[in-house]
Amino acid sequence: MSDHDEHHHPSAWGPHDWTHGAPHNSWSPLIMSMGFGIFLFMLAEAFTNGVFNAGYVPLVFVGLFVSLVGLIIWWRQDMSFDGTYEPMATGAPFKNIQIRKVAIWVFLMSEMMVFTSLFSTYIRYRTGIENCQTVFERGDWMQQGYTLETGEALICFEPASHLIASSMWHIAPGAINTFALIISSFTIVQALRWAKKPFGTIDEEVRRKRVFRYLGSTWILAIIFLILKMTEWFIGFYVPEIEILGIHEHHIHSLYAEGYLINADHYHHHDWVDEATGATMLADISVSASTFYVTTGTHGVHVAGGIIGLTYMTFKAWTGGYTPKNAVSIEYFGLYWHFVDLVWVLVFPFFYLY
Amino acid sequence: MNREKIISRTLVIFTVLLLGMVAVPSATSLPTGVAGVKDSGCNCHGAVVSDSVIPTLEGLPETYNYSEIYTLNIAFTGGPADPANINQGGFNLWVSDGTITPSDASVQSWNPNEVSHTDAGNDQTSWTVEWTAPANDRNVQFILHTNSVNGNAGSAEGGTIGDEWNRLSIQISSPVVILEQANPYTVLTTLIVVSFVLLLTVLTFIFYQNNPESFDWEHFAPWVAGWLTTTDHKRVGTLYFLAGFFFLGIGGIMAILIRIQLMVPGNDFLTQDQYNQFFTLHGTTMIFLAAMPLINGAANWMVPLQIGAPDLALPRLNAMSFWLQPVGAVLIFTGVFSGTGADTGWTGYAPYIVSETAHVGTTMWVAGQILLVASSTLTGINFLTTIAVMRAPGMGWMQMPLFTWSILVANLMLFLSIPAFGVGLIQVYLDRVIGTAFYDAASGGDPLLWSHLFWYFGHPEVYVVIVPAFGIISEVIATSARRSVFGYRSMVYAMAGIGVVSFIVYGHHMFTSGMDPTLRFVTMLTTMLVAVPTGIKIFNWLMTMNGGSLVYRTHTLWALGFLVTFTLGGISGMFFPSMAMDLHFHESYFVVAHFHYVLVGGTVFGLFCGVYYWFPKMSGKMLNEKLGVLHFLTAFVTYNGIFWPMHRLGVWGMARRHHTYFISVDEVRGVDGEIITEAVLGALPPEAAGWNMFITVNAILFFFSNFILIANVVISLVRGEKAPADPWGGWSFEWLTDSPPPTPSFGRFENGEWHDLPTLADANEHVAHEPSRLGIWFSKLMVADKEEVEN
Repeated sequence: MSDHDEHHHPSAWGPHDWTHGAPHNSWSPLIMSMGFGIFLFMLAEAFTNGVFNAGYVPLVFVGLFVSLVGLIIWWRQDMSFDGTYEPMATGAPFKNIQIRKVAIWVFLMSEMMVFTSLFSTYIRYRTGIENCQTVFERGDWMQQGYTLETGEALICFEPASHLIASSMWHIAPGAINTFALIISSFTIVQALRWAKKPFGTIDEEVRRKRVFRYLGSTWILAIIFLILKMTEWFIGFYVPEIEILGIHEHHIHSLYAEGYLINADHYHHHDWVDEATGATMLADISVSASTFYVTTGTHGVHVAGGIIGLTYMTFKAWTGGYTPKNAVSIEYFGLYWHFVDLVWVLVFPFFYLY
Repeated sequence: MNREKIISRTLVIFTVLLLGMVAVPSATSLPTGVAGVKDSGCNCHGAVVSDSVIPTLEGLPETYNYSEIYTLNIAFTGGPADPANINQGGFNLWVSDGTITPSDASVQSWNPNEVSHTDAGNDQTSWTVEWTAPANDRNVQFILHTNSVNGNAGSAEGGTIGDEWNRLSIQISSPVVILEQANPYTVLTTLIVVSFVLLLTVLTFIFYQNNPESFDWEHFAPWVAGWLTTTDHKRVGTLYFLAGFFFLGIGGIMAILIRIQLMVPGNDFLTQDQYNQFFTLHGTTMIFLAAMPLINGAANWMVPLQIGAPDLALPRLNAMSFWLQPVGAVLIFTGVFSGTGADTGWTGYAPYIVSETAHVGTTMWVAGQILLVASSTLTGINFLTTIAVMRAPGMGWMQMPLFTWSILVANLMLFLSIPAFGVGLIQVYLDRVIGTAFYDAASGGDPLLWSHLFWYFGHPEVYVVIVPAFGIISEVIATSARRSVFGYRSMVYAMAGIGVVSFIVYGHHMFTSGMDPTLRFVTMLTTMLVAVPTGIKIFNWLMTMNGGSLVYRTHTLWALGFLVTFTLGGISGMFFPSMAMDLHFHESYFVVAHFHYVLVGGTVFGLFCGVYYWFPKMSGKMLNEKLGVLHFLTAFVTYNGIFWPMHRLGVWGMARRHHTYFISVDEVRGVDGEIITEAVLGALPPEAAGWNMFITVNAILFFFSNFILIANVVISLVRGEKAPADPWGGWSFEWLTDSPPPTPSFGRFENGEWHDLPTLADANEHVAHEPSRLGIWFSKLMVADKEEVEN
């Protein structure tokens, strides 16, 4: 590379001088891509057709670690970002809109298609496979031998909502999550509002604190969302005896404990015991469980991705990194975050209520 | 040595290590399979070979007779085996050809060519099996493993402590001594390694040429690091071209291996299993690793130049799009060299793709495809944003060059369809990995759901690879005819129309899957509708030439060739939406002929055309016209020689995706002269053999004809004539900058803003004051309409 290039491309891995606008070299894309490759490969080695092979788990983490290295290089280059380089659109119809804002909207278009495809899968199976409860109430499964005794399993659709909406307590984590996400959409807008206040109208220290606190609360709400989700899926919780409210002591089982597994072959629910004969209906609900976990899980992965981004942004806000000059990058994240929020507003009724 | 150099050097080494790590799964690849029983010795008791155990295999002749049955006695002596023990020993026998059958209950069969002892046979030191010799000439290899067991099976140590084993390998030959047959995996591995080494040599040579004095590691590491870390759209475009042409070659090698297999009826150069993997990877490589990167290469190079933008909207994301591709490619190829590569076809139909019988490599194929989906999504974001927001001042939508329009339409289609494929892939990946049941028919999963998700993406995808070729052809024909393209607006609407219609036609891929006849009818109509905008484009190109004065350059020839072959492909495509015809042609070579006519005769010819057209701009060196014409003539003739006869084969009923075919003569003979009696049913007419041979010869010629292009490029880079800014008299923005263009391509960035970006008026000025040879002809010869001048 010539001296001219050296001047403009200070380093392919360190902070960038964003004031000159020319392309910057970066190690990040190459390293991150290889990290993803290693991760997908090792994950497939760690599980094969549902059989777990613990020996590969460290290598799964190697893949994640390499991706993280790439991501940190990416961020490190952005940390010097001072808002002087925010390219604006030149062409109609987006003239004088930030280029990256357009890019985020375009990105959300593809995200929309991702969730559309997942919902298509759900609709296909929900409408195409008979509901387990319906089959049970009809009672003909006993004649056909789909019982625990025969070991023959009936293919039917068991919506997660059948378990989740069975009691107020069971649905509580999902309901709290809905509000957590809606509030977090509010806090991210507040962060943007404070970051955008023109210079001179507020004290810079106040700005730093407000932006940091609002981004921090968004981060906390997102963490709460994932924790409650894990509780609902894997952990379950205990409800104490509160006589005044008429609450009885009981334990809310996690979906996992109820046998609602992503790769469950056979499943029988305690409700499905025929009282007259004592026979238990044996159902193969793996398609319904797969659909539930993968759709809500994809949403969860989006929240987790948001948390990774928010971690960086909260740290940057703590260093006083957001000013009116670059506040718009909070807006970019906010657009994504509202989208994740809106998707949950669809996921919740489809998978938790209906 | 300064810090920067240490860092680049470290990172280059780090990169090589990581690349190695990523590539290891693909490279753990003995041609015969690293984990096969015959190599590692089955459940051999004890870690090392023991010389005290002596296996014997009796009853084998020196040379065998065709199809004769031989009784083989397997035995061993030595080791801890003792008649007093509960168990004495076991064995595993593998044979390369013929079939082995157990003759009593002490032996069980794993495969037709592999047997071992049963539990009942555990307390013996000798066993008997029967081997049926092959019906043709072979060098047959026997590999025998025996365990000598001390009989502590019930002990806490697990029963194998103190046991010993040994291995015996015997080779016998047929009545007619034959040469060792080439192993296709070895051929493939060798050719890929050779291609890769050649590529690296050429790259090193180019580095040497740049500056012969500084040919050392000290300068090499930063140079390589510069390419590995680049985010400049032109350099990323070059990387795309390199990767695209490399994989075009790999896909070509696989095509040649497939053609060698199909050269004669009943051939067995490739087994069914190998054939399945080769056609799967041929399809996947050509679509995703050759066509798409080549298109992205052209788009990366030309879109910012054509709209007067300094770079793409998100340069670093652009580099990310590129680097996901080679990593995805490595995953896709995982397992193929050891015989466990993906064997699902490029469509990866469920439920086979989620079944455990599908090769292990299928999981990695899916993982690699997921990375390619991510890559395409990022590319889509980048190009849609760039084209929407970074056009030069004054350039409206309807002033954009048609190539840019084609990239916009193609990316929009890709972008809106590929998430469906991505979701389908993730579902398949999870099915294969953690055991979900999306496509598990036994649990109520619907295999057709995969077809829907796949073809919802898959059909727009085939337009994604053809529409950019339309763009290139529009540019080239207009420039070569020295006039603006006829019916610019209708061209744009036609492309956009294809983009819209592409989403509602995919049902025609599923006509034979038991679809509702009403829906079939609707899909039939929408599919036929695609012919309308495509026809508009063809006629516009013809009218462009009609109103202009054609200059015959290499790229002009390719464009004319494209018109012929693509139109033929389009016409043969019209047979498939017709439901009745589709039922006959489905899964036949007619389909293969059709999609190769549009993908090779369309996309690849279009891209070659683009390479000849833009190479002077990209490299600053002119290509040799004579070599170019030679390339066109040889490629065009041999290409038609490959795919034209396939229509006939398809009508006769030759089935695609099958590893061989048979012809009906009184006595059906395979390659080695053996009589194949079961082949008469469904056999092709005898002429089919001749045509297949003809196709194979043409395929090999076509493969080598493309080396003319590579030679042309290398010669041009070394001693080519220097290219002017506008060698062909084109008038879009890319011809305004120098050849090769500087970085940034246009304007300069100061105080957080771009200055001196070109405007549309500059392009018009440029045409008027074009200094090059063709520009002068252009101003003399072009007879412009009055309205056009005013516009």
